[in-house]
Amino acid sequence: MAYYEPIIELGEAPLVQKGSTLAEVTDDIAGVTERPAPRGWWIVFGLALMFVGIFTVCVGYLFWRGVGVWGNTSPVFWAWDITNFVWWVGIGHAGTLISAILFIFRQKWRTAINRFAEAMTIFAVICALIFPGIHVGRPWLMYYVFPLPNQMTLWPNFKSPLLWDVFAVGTYFTVSLLFWYVGLIPDLATLRDRSMTKGRQMVYGFFALGWRGSNRHWRNYERAYLILAAISTPLVLSVHSVVSMDFATSVIPGWHTTIFPPYFVAGAIFSGFAMVETVLLIARTVFKLHRVVLMRHLELMNKFILFTSLLVGYAYSMEFFIAWYSGNRYEMAHFLHNRPAGPYWWAWVWMMVPNTLIPQLYWSKKMRTSIPVMFVVSIFVNIGMWFERFVIIVLSLNRDFLPSSWGYYRPTIIDVGTFTGTIGIFFAAFLLFMRWLPMVAMAEVKGTMPQADPHHGHRGKHAPHSEPIAAKGTLATEGAE
Amino acid sequence: MSKRAPYPVSEPWPGSPKYWRDLEERGRLAQESAEQASASRGVNAPEFSKGHIETPPSDEAWQLSRRGLLGAMAATFAVVGAEGCRRPLERVVPYTKMPEDVIPGVPSHYTTVLQRRGDAVGLLVESHEGRPTKVEGNDQHPSSLGAADLVAQATILDLYDPERSTTPLKGAAASDWATFEADLSAKLAGYAADQGSRLRLLMPPTLSPTVLRMRAALAQRFPKTRVHTWAAVNDSNIREGARIALGAPMSSLNAYDRARVILSLDSDFLQTETANVRANKLFAGGRRMHSAKDSMSRLYVVEPERTTTGNSADHRLRLPAADIERYARALAVELSKNNVTLGDVATSAAKTTPPDGIPAKWLSAVAKDLAANRAKALIVVGSRQPPVVHALAHAMNSALGAVGATVNYAAVTDADELDAATDLKALTDAIAAKQVDALVIIGGNPVYDAPADLGFAEKLAAVPFSVHASLFVDETGEKCSWHVPLAHTYEAWGDARALDGTASVQQPLILPLYGGRSEIELLALLANAPEKSSHDAVVATSRSGVLAAHALANCAPTPDGNVECHDPSGKVVPVRSVDLAREWNRGLALGVLTRPAAPAAAPALRSADVAAALDKATPAGRVGPGSLEVTFAPCPKMVDGFHANNTWLQEMPDPVTKLVWDNAAILSPATAKALGVQNKDVVRIAVGDRAITSGVWIVPGQADNSIALKLGWGRKKAGRIGNGRGFDVYPLRTTQTLGFAVGAQVNKTGAEPYFFAQTQEADHTYNRPIAHEATIADYRQKPNFAELDSPPPRALPLWSQQDYSQGHQWGMTIDLNACTGCSACVVACMAENNVPVVGKLEVWRGREMHWIRLDRYWVEDPKLGATEEDPLAIHEPLMCVHCEEAPCENVCPVGATTHGPEGLNEMAYNRCIGTRYCGNNCPYKVRHFNYLNWHNDSVWKETGGLPESLQMQQNPNVTVRFRGVMEKCTYCVQRIQSAKIRSKREYKELKDGDIKTACQQTCPADAIVFGDVNDLNSQVSKLTRTDRRFGLLAELGTRPRTTYLGKVRNPNPEMA
Repeated sequence: MAYYEPIIELGEAPLVQKGSTLAEVTDDIAGVTERPAPRGWWIVFGLALMFVGIFTVCVGYLFWRGVGVWGNTSPVFWAWDITNFVWWVGIGHAGTLISAILFIFRQKWRTAINRFAEAMTIFAVICALIFPGIHVGRPWLMYYVFPLPNQMTLWPNFKSPLLWDVFAVGTYFTVSLLFWYVGLIPDLATLRDRSMTKGRQMVYGFFALGWRGSNRHWRNYERAYLILAAISTPLVLSVHSVVSMDFATSVIPGWHTTIFPPYFVAGAIFSGFAMVETVLLIARTVFKLHRVVLMRHLELMNKFILFTSLLVGYAYSMEFFIAWYSGNRYEMAHFLHNRPAGPYWWAWVWMMVPNTLIPQLYWSKKMRTSIPVMFVVSIFVNIGMWFERFVIIVLSLNRDFLPSSWGYYRPTIIDVGTFTGTIGIFFAAFLLFMRWLPMVAMAEVKGTMPQADPHHGHRGKHAPHSEPIAAKGTLATEGAE
Repeated sequence: MSKRAPYPVSEPWPGSPKYWRDLEERGRLAQESAEQASASRGVNAPEFSKGHIETPPSDEAWQLSRRGLLGAMAATFAVVGAEGCRRPLERVVPYTKMPEDVIPGVPSHYTTVLQRRGDAVGLLVESHEGRPTKVEGNDQHPSSLGAADLVAQATILDLYDPERSTTPLKGAAASDWATFEADLSAKLAGYAADQGSRLRLLMPPTLSPTVLRMRAALAQRFPKTRVHTWAAVNDSNIREGARIALGAPMSSLNAYDRARVILSLDSDFLQTETANVRANKLFAGGRRMHSAKDSMSRLYVVEPERTTTGNSADHRLRLPAADIERYARALAVELSKNNVTLGDVATSAAKTTPPDGIPAKWLSAVAKDLAANRAKALIVVGSRQPPVVHALAHAMNSALGAVGATVNYAAVTDADELDAATDLKALTDAIAAKQVDALVIIGGNPVYDAPADLGFAEKLAAVPFSVHASLFVDETGEKCSWHVPLAHTYEAWGDARALDGTASVQQPLILPLYGGRSEIELLALLANAPEKSSHDAVVATSRSGVLAAHALANCAPTPDGNVECHDPSGKVVPVRSVDLAREWNRGLALGVLTRPAAPAAAPALRSADVAAALDKATPAGRVGPGSLEVTFAPCPKMVDGFHANNTWLQEMPDPVTKLVWDNAAILSPATAKALGVQNKDVVRIAVGDRAITSGVWIVPGQADNSIALKLGWGRKKAGRIGNGRGFDVYPLRTTQTLGFAVGAQVNKTGAEPYFFAQTQEADHTYNRPIAHEATIADYRQKPNFAELDSPPPRALPLWSQQDYSQGHQWGMTIDLNACTGCSACVVACMAENNVPVVGKLEVWRGREMHWIRLDRYWVEDPKLGATEEDPLAIHEPLMCVHCEEAPCENVCPVGATTHGPEGLNEMAYNRCIGTRYCGNNCPYKVRHFNYLNWHNDSVWKETGGLPESLQMQQNPNVTVRFRGVMEKCTYCVQRIQSAKIRSKREYKELKDGDIKTACQQTCPADAIVFGDVNDLNSQVSKLTRTDRRFGLLAELGTRPRTTYLGKVRNPNPEMA
């Protein structure tokens, strides 16, 4: 990480609050893991655990009796289960996008949020992976999907997009986990070095892999990080493209659509950013990270949300247009009738309004820099994107080709419990992460600070440090409120 | 651990040679045999060799020996360990002595006959190692012609009903047969004094010569005893009509295949009337189109409610049942204007005016069409219409020259049978007059289904000694002083004459499961007849000349009930019992003992009597918005309520409404609007001072101001399955209004909307090209109309196609022109393939498991006069179409569904993990998922799983699917395989027709044809080359193996 020198002429500002020292950054972030947890943390964690409990009960009941405890039916063989899966996978996208693609494009502002986003990715993908595992009729035979050599020479069906899914999401999870962990190593070493107890020292020491911060360590680390970023980058595009193929390769109107891969990726980034923002806004307030997570970061994320919202909106309109333009009676019936005017019209409205209309607020700078507005918008986008998946899955299935087979899907209380349960798992994992791991990449943030400049303190006429910047006095246009 | 029980090895016989390995063993064996000898004298139980004598078992069971303790511990561990197993451990015990003619794994088939109302259907029942599992039609029997309907298919489940009556009950206390017999004979001795005048019997009408013979024997013992007959669903009006017109209660044998124009006046002859299977078969034969050059019959239906028959009509007029008499009279008048000579019948018929608001063409054009097809026309009347309408129809048929051409007459089995309501009223009047001391009810459930005005339940309570014999302890059984279990048709010997007089033996397939006795045995007990077992009685009947007369050449019955045979010179020769035995065996093998001689000469029509009856009859009162009509019809599933505890029938979608587990009050949209009610509202329907409540279901095409009610629901004492299902409509039905009642008042009760479940909710095709049809004129213009609307894709496939040119390639065609939507195939498939029942709630969720769906769409076509209020219907049976490019196969991640070399889309249940992706990607949605362990976790949950008796019904050649796997139609792959094995074993080529799928076998209309499409001469491949053929959703490129033949309608151009 090289020092990020803002180009003042372009209106750029430093990425860390002006005048912060390296020690302050370390104290802010590492301190969270060292101080006792605030009361708020315990309340939220207790709540999350409650939902984990609900999840356990629901899944236990599901395993005991069968998938019939959910509302899934014929023709709607997939409903909340796969909706939740796709939703969580989508949320897991922002992490890798922020850490890998923005890293490769040298978007230094990512340093404030990448650790967060990566952790979110890991937890979201865990939540996502739960669903394919539990939604099958006979979960105890789930291993049939893996290509395990066996005496009967039975092999999975490589034509099936579900199998591609297994590999795509599995790869994504593995790489994301590695990427996250590699990035954590220098910070884990910092925590180890600040440890006041033997236990902390042992645990952090173990995971820090003997990091001493030598030049050689840094060189290898930077190389590994870059390679992992390069590997992750195509994954961002591939995972959700493959997930979309579960639908796109089928014959069902509403699923059988070539636009799906890019549309799903855009949607995934959209929902991922919204979820990062939701979580980040809470963490920033609870743990007072204003020094590192600036309004500038949030505004950039909002611009991303606006951009991807437009992409998603484009995809929605294109589906409508092509359905009409193709003249295919089944496509027309689905897109022009069943979605806006069918029995689930309300789900369609919940998809359209939060995803395409509400983010339009961000054309206004006032809106995209208002914390309450962005919190509410991010929640709406999360809901809207859940409904997008619901609309794609349930509305395509409930009325397909033959009217005689049409049916209406209704979720059960177990559906609701399983879904909210995974939200509990997500937040419980996240809260543990915030409590025990550095939630901002300290080493990387410090790399973007003026102190990281090799000429820092002796730039030009070897003037005292921070003087040139201070002298200009034009940089402090922005800071934390 | 071996699952096989150890062979009991013992010394074959005392003193047989012993074999030993060495001298040491020889010594041990000698000692053991000495110990065994002492043990057999009761001295000691040898378990160890000498020196290890075990304590003899004591009386206290808990005092275990050391070895016993070890055994108990092992058993405990085994039980504890087995708790964790998914599948219980079962022992497989092979036959040690092979029963004669039973090869394990090879089912045997027995002929039998099922009595129903006015007709007996010949059946062939499949039996696996002594368990009857599946009912099929008997193609040798004239009332079956190889087919069976949905109720006949479902009777096999009644046999195994776990809630059948299992023991004689005295009051409510369990008793036994000996006590019953003692009690009965003591009572009978008392009645003998006055020749049994205070003893009455109540039975359903019978078709059995042996039952009649037993009744005659009873009359000999108790000359003054009277046998009353009652059945809630009966043919009394038909008999009375024939009595007026022909002078005797003759049955009509309608040749629907030879008729070119058929007019049905409120007759659902394809589904709920007597002889429906035969009618369906013949009707389909008269409409079969091999090419556009063929002709087909035309069906007009005038009826108040939609029925299977009405749905098959070319022209359908909805008219309240009360108006049909006036319609028939007006038609007679109109016919006489078309030079059909009706004489004074027409004059008498002209007494009334035609019903209001019917299109004029429904008289002029229909009469013209009938008149133009003399000797090829046929008018049939529904059994709920009054006798005079039947008499008028006989007159019109006769005038149209139909008699001898499209109608033949046959004598009825029981010519003395009286009008059911009158007969039952005579009984209740006698009870009220305190003339009855004892009432024996054999079969039937009059407490539930007797006319409401008779107050049968109270009358029954006034009888000092009452006996009820039935399969179930039902509403009647619990009110009688004795209840005894009756044997099921498949458990008892019997006999029956079909509508045309064909006599068949009812051959049992299994000993009575619950110790029931047949009605013949009960009658024999009452009559003190010499034959105590029903077998002996039936054999005796067959030999007494009643049955055998026609079977043996040159034999004839004598007046004293024996047979006399003559040699060619006319000399009397003795009847050889070997001939009788041979005839008997042949009759059992064929399922037909004797056939009637050529149809008897038709009796002359008594025009004057018909005219007099027309003069005397007063048509029912006018139906209008202020005076609604209710019509009563037997439920196509429950019939009169007898089958209420049958899960298959409960879950069968009604052929018209697609409702399951319920009946409803059917209203037309206009009537519902006028009454301000909506679907599912609960209404109170009152006729006079009698009232019922019922949920409402609106069906387009129902006659305005007419409410259709189905009998057989709302049972209170049917069993776990049938109790409280649907709405009991019997309280509205009186002796005067067995068919319909005018003057009903309907009010909303304001109760919560009733919870109905349907298998098909969308009623229209929304102009999708999925159920193709054309008028016969359009068909002749454009023979390939069906394929033109949904052509297969022209794009080239992306990958190389599988080669299907070799070997057997199975395929199926379904002729939409033949299908009447009767739904027999659905039950046949359930019986054959162990299809589970899921219950009403799960059907409402959409999880029904029927492998065949009978899609029913309403068709609006202004050209045919079909409107939204009164549409036409089209039925489309749909099961897995076995796509050659199956969308389900590509998407299964574990390859659980794949394509077989013979073109079948196959499911490997063991491999299926239940991702349900295949179900999603199936454009036909014919895959069904076991969301729960249906056999244990649905309707049978409270009993801890499918009762053992019902498990006996299951087909051992079909896997019972566990929870979490997908299933679907297999084209009855087990039948394909067994036919292939048989052909291989017999070194014979597999012939077309050797394999029949269960649905095809039972289809009364022969709409389903299965076979090898690679065989150019097979019926199926010929049909796939006909012009009406189309592949459902073929435009998706799925290349379905099941193809359809488009429906052709034959409208009368003058009706347009």
